[in-house]
Amino acid sequence: MSTWRARLGRLFPTLVLIASALFFLLPVLSSARFALQKVPMVLLNWSNVFDGWSLRTLSQPFKEDNFWPTLSLSLKLAGGTVALTLGLLVPTALFVHLRLPKARAFVEFLTVLPYVVPPIALVAGVAAFFRPNARWYLNSEYALVPLYVVMALPFTYRSIDAGIKAIDVRTLVDASRSLGAGWVTTFRRALFPNLMSSLVSSSFLTATVVLGEFTMANTLAKRTFPTFLYEYYGLKAQSGTALALMTLIGTTALLGIFTLFTRRRGARVPTRF
Amino acid sequence: MSALTFDAVRKTFGTAVALEGLSIDVEQGELISLLGPSGCGKTTALRIAAGFERADSGTVQVRGNDITKVPPHKRNMGMVFQSYSLFPNLTVEANVEYGLRTRGIPRHQRHERVAEMLALVELTTMATRYAHQLSGGQQQRVALARALAIQPEVLLLDEPLSALDAKVRTTLRDEIRRIQTSVGITTLFVTHDQEEALAISDRICVMSQGRIEQLGTPTEVYRHPTTAFVARFVGTMNELPAEVTGGNEVAVLGTRLSAPKADAFAQGTRVKLLVRPEDLTISESGLAGTVTSVTFQGASTLVGVRLDVLDRLVSVDVGQGAADHLTIGDRVGVGVNGTHAVCEAAE
Repeated sequence: MSTWRARLGRLFPTLVLIASALFFLLPVLSSARFALQKVPMVLLNWSNVFDGWSLRTLSQPFKEDNFWPTLSLSLKLAGGTVALTLGLLVPTALFVHLRLPKARAFVEFLTVLPYVVPPIALVAGVAAFFRPNARWYLNSEYALVPLYVVMALPFTYRSIDAGIKAIDVRTLVDASRSLGAGWVTTFRRALFPNLMSSLVSSSFLTATVVLGEFTMANTLAKRTFPTFLYEYYGLKAQSGTALALMTLIGTTALLGIFTLFTRRRGARVPTRF
Repeated sequence: MSALTFDAVRKTFGTAVALEGLSIDVEQGELISLLGPSGCGKTTALRIAAGFERADSGTVQVRGNDITKVPPHKRNMGMVFQSYSLFPNLTVEANVEYGLRTRGIPRHQRHERVAEMLALVELTTMATRYAHQLSGGQQQRVALARALAIQPEVLLLDEPLSALDAKVRTTLRDEIRRIQTSVGITTLFVTHDQEEALAISDRICVMSQGRIEQLGTPTEVYRHPTTAFVARFVGTMNELPAEVTGGNEVAVLGTRLSAPKADAFAQGTRVKLLVRPEDLTISESGLAGTVTSVTFQGASTLVGVRLDVLDRLVSVDVGQGAADHLTIGDRVGVGVNGTHAVCEAAE
């Protein structure tokens, strides 16, 4: 009896892993069949799993007039959001760790607030405030950047915070300063290389949020990649699904590359300084 | 002119007073230990010297120059920290080179200096390793080399041995002293370990609650503690009830003996006499008691004796071989030498 229980105990994690994998993979596989098999949807079944596969639908979105401009805007927004996020959060997180350790819990609470406020409420509030006061801001194609910074806050702050916690930042800063380095040199030579992996993770998470956000872009009538995807799916469901699939695979591949990068180098990135 | 001076330095954190009127003169080439329990203000004093904390009042001077408001990176002080502080992204040689680069020293001079420092701490062969490839002791030696490479005016050591195991700690302690003496650098060493302070220091500054309790050589602090706090904190003390009989004399359980500074109390005052284990002797006469423990300590043996008249345990430190015949349960007499004893008012 106990042997049976022990065996089940050993098997249980594997079973959970398999169930989780199926939970995520089956919808992806179903999407792939819908997007890439030249079989009418109503006829898709187990008997024709391997029939009529084609990559033709994958190439179709690239020929659309709006594909490249919207992708370009989303990439620019991602770059701007990453820059603003790092520019704001890295000094903030360092300041909190070095000078206001008692405020850490409060700052962490603030950073999770975007979870509580739905994007539609946030964008509606922003639009209502800026439309009469600063319409130029809403008209700018980069109006989404500050909103995306707020949306990505729960992920990005945690990532940066974890990186700072991992390196005993106070001692490194004190050591660098005692050796004659000012704040800029200290950040460039002592902190930045050791925070690299958490900054990369944070940037990647931010970019992922931007490249997948639809509600705010659509409400502010910005032609971003997710809004293109939505419209395109309405017009050409099969190619739209193929595009969504490509986006998913691309994002997952990037995540894998960054995970490998950060795991191999850990928090310590050897540099020549 | 002193190499480093604290002049009436006061520092508070909120309502807590960390330092109250701290005044110390550290002479050129001298190693002074700041010794005291946690929260006594010793690390705060060191951080004020380094510039990481700002004094509320008072001044810090290096060779007579007021540096109280000078930021840390312009103070030219080398510091070794309690926790390992090597930059993980840099090799050993790049770590040692760090301070030289920030000072814009030319490359060939930097390399010469790094080689010299690594030779000083005997880590030349580790030059290309990273911090995570070194033991704790090696990391602290590199940190020491890094701090010395910039040729600082004062070396600040913030409990650099506390994270190390006992054997490495002793070795590195001796090495720090060797290097400090050979370089001749003025050093402020923070520790809560009295043995460490006694072994390494030219002078010890015993601190409690932000104030200096005693500043003196290791022998002065150990053999002639000026306060009961110092007597208790540095080394082990036995506590015996006594009565001041006049002048510098006290009576301990009927035995009269001389005790320095007993004249600070009026005749007839009941006091506690603090006596070190090595100032007690096992003898035929003296206070009767029973041996409760015999602890061999290498060079000496610590004998625990429960006194009949007090029902109190005292520790007696006897020389090598002198306790070989003693076993637990033996009846012995305990003699008291009050020459180095300290009197404290009884509660």
